[in-house]
Amino acid sequence: MPVFECEGRMYEVDEDGFLQEPERWSQDVAKDFAQTEAIADLTDGHWKVINYIRNYYLQFGIAPMVRKLCKETGYKLNEIYQLFPSGPAKGACKLAGLPKPTGCV
Amino acid sequence: MKNTLDIAQAWRSDGEPLVHIENADLMPLPAPLDNLAMDRPWKPLSAQAKEKYESGLDDTCAVSVPRPKNEDEERRLVAQFLAGLEKLFTADNNWTFLQPLLLTMEHCTHCQTCAESCHIFEASGRNELYRPVFRSELLRRLYFKYIKHGGLVSAWQHGEIELNWPLVARLIELSYRCNLCRRCAQSCPIGADNGLVAHELRKLFSQEMGIAAKELHEQGSMLQLKVGSSTGMTAEVVKDNIDFIDEDMSERTGIEVHTPWDVEGAEVLLLHNAGEIMAWPENPGAFALILNMAGVNWTMSSELAGYDSINYGLWYDDVQFARVALKHAEIARKLKVKKIVLGECGHAHKALCVVADRLLGGELNIPRESSLTLLRDIVMSGRIQFDPARNDFPVTLHDPCNLVRLMGVVEPQREVLRMLCPGFREMEPHGVNNYCCGGGSGFAIMSGHNFPDWRFQVAGRKKMQQVLEAFSDCIGPETPKYLCAPCSNCKGQLRDMLAYYKLWERNRILYGGFVELIVNAMVDVKPGFLEWEWR
Repeated sequence: MPVFECEGRMYEVDEDGFLQEPERWSQDVAKDFAQTEAIADLTDGHWKVINYIRNYYLQFGIAPMVRKLCKETGYKLNEIYQLFPSGPAKGACKLAGLPKPTGCV
Repeated sequence: MKNTLDIAQAWRSDGEPLVHIENADLMPLPAPLDNLAMDRPWKPLSAQAKEKYESGLDDTCAVSVPRPKNEDEERRLVAQFLAGLEKLFTADNNWTFLQPLLLTMEHCTHCQTCAESCHIFEASGRNELYRPVFRSELLRRLYFKYIKHGGLVSAWQHGEIELNWPLVARLIELSYRCNLCRRCAQSCPIGADNGLVAHELRKLFSQEMGIAAKELHEQGSMLQLKVGSSTGMTAEVVKDNIDFIDEDMSERTGIEVHTPWDVEGAEVLLLHNAGEIMAWPENPGAFALILNMAGVNWTMSSELAGYDSINYGLWYDDVQFARVALKHAEIARKLKVKKIVLGECGHAHKALCVVADRLLGGELNIPRESSLTLLRDIVMSGRIQFDPARNDFPVTLHDPCNLVRLMGVVEPQREVLRMLCPGFREMEPHGVNNYCCGGGSGFAIMSGHNFPDWRFQVAGRKKMQQVLEAFSDCIGPETPKYLCAPCSNCKGQLRDMLAYYKLWERNRILYGGFVELIVNAMVDVKPGFLEWEWR
């Protein structure tokens, strides 16, 4: 497994850079991973999205549907792309410490 | 780049890449991607990836095979490969594809007709590594030397080859540089099938050596057989998601939408690629609305794998393929449905309608149909009223290889588009002569390292050219355009590729499915079903 290093902290990641140990996630981990997504500061907007995804994941074991994410957070998809340039699956889910979404999504 | 490649390089022991590609080497693209500045530079493979994984083929790495620790491990892997090679050429172990494989091994005349039809070869700037016969020639030489045990005369006649770990490692990656679109097989004057060669190699690696792309195996067919879907959705989650879709659709269309579950004796069991539910919910939503309005007695299934039509085994492993196909047929039998209808997923069509035919006997051989023919019949029946003016924007159609070239479903979708979309225009070539989207055989969901760069710049390049040419008369952002792709895998590839080149942002090219266009034109639906927003 590749390793992602941030200021001395080491994280095992997959080939797409997703955290391999979901239980290690914390807000500080999200901040470290934000750098890999070219996000300078995590705003309240970012946290609203990250927390929704994280809570959904803890309840159901997978990421929420994108349309559900939009409805529940009140953000349009293009606003989510503004917050997370690589999008809800590859960007927001990565910061929320989820494994990479699977299947034809 | 020097565009020659001696085949003996393939067993070179240094493990270093055989070729390197620059953007300037690639097939030129039309406007607006007609200057190199618009072509994105490739992300190089990281030093960490090069150190850990076998990457001795080209600029990328698809499968992430760990480098063996020592020579013993290399020898063990080569022995496994050889054992698998022998199995590939015996009827007991390869009853599925032995005959066409032998034909391909014995009769290729190197006429190169296949090379002229391969989008990857052409788009790469005719790079010798991607010439279809480069891969099959390696397997052919192995076949003559290790299966037919030819001696010196055979080596002189068929060419020498040296079996070592670097060759096997390169073959693993090379088997994932083909979309399995089989355009080459269609053009071959004697029916040799280079796509099958890539498939059989993948199968050998998976069934004999446990090596496969993780997106297809661990996170694909294994996950599907364990929790019910390659997306990770359990029955509880899929039902919750479909409830949400029904509610959302009802709001958007003004028509109450309800999806039936596990209805015994239904006329139609509808199998969606579960990725549609997660990523493109308007697609299953539109299906539900159309089937309800047409009065079809249909159902979805909440059994394990019954709500996910994917069968990734089709691309890399006959055993995994059979496990999933049997599940699908068993579910239909238990539910006592009259037939199975496949939603907009190309490979699921080929898997269940065609290849599974060799597997399903007796009660399990339940009729299977494409949704495209069913939808065509519904639209033409006059049961639903349409206003084509609602679809008055340029539309072009991508032909998913599995559904069109490999199954011959060409006209039903076109009859509908010609009736409902005044701005419909064909790509050239189309129908059974179409080009793959570049995401075929699972590439659309493989995004490790810098593989997406290869997938968009090389594999998808021919499709990109076709799309831009089809819209060349209206390429500006003032005209929104719809690229219709009735396949989840193709949609994923087209979405990622349009985003990669910013073609939605700059030129307003949107992609989407087929049923969405039908619903958008329904008189009873609130106008503006298509939202023209990126997703």
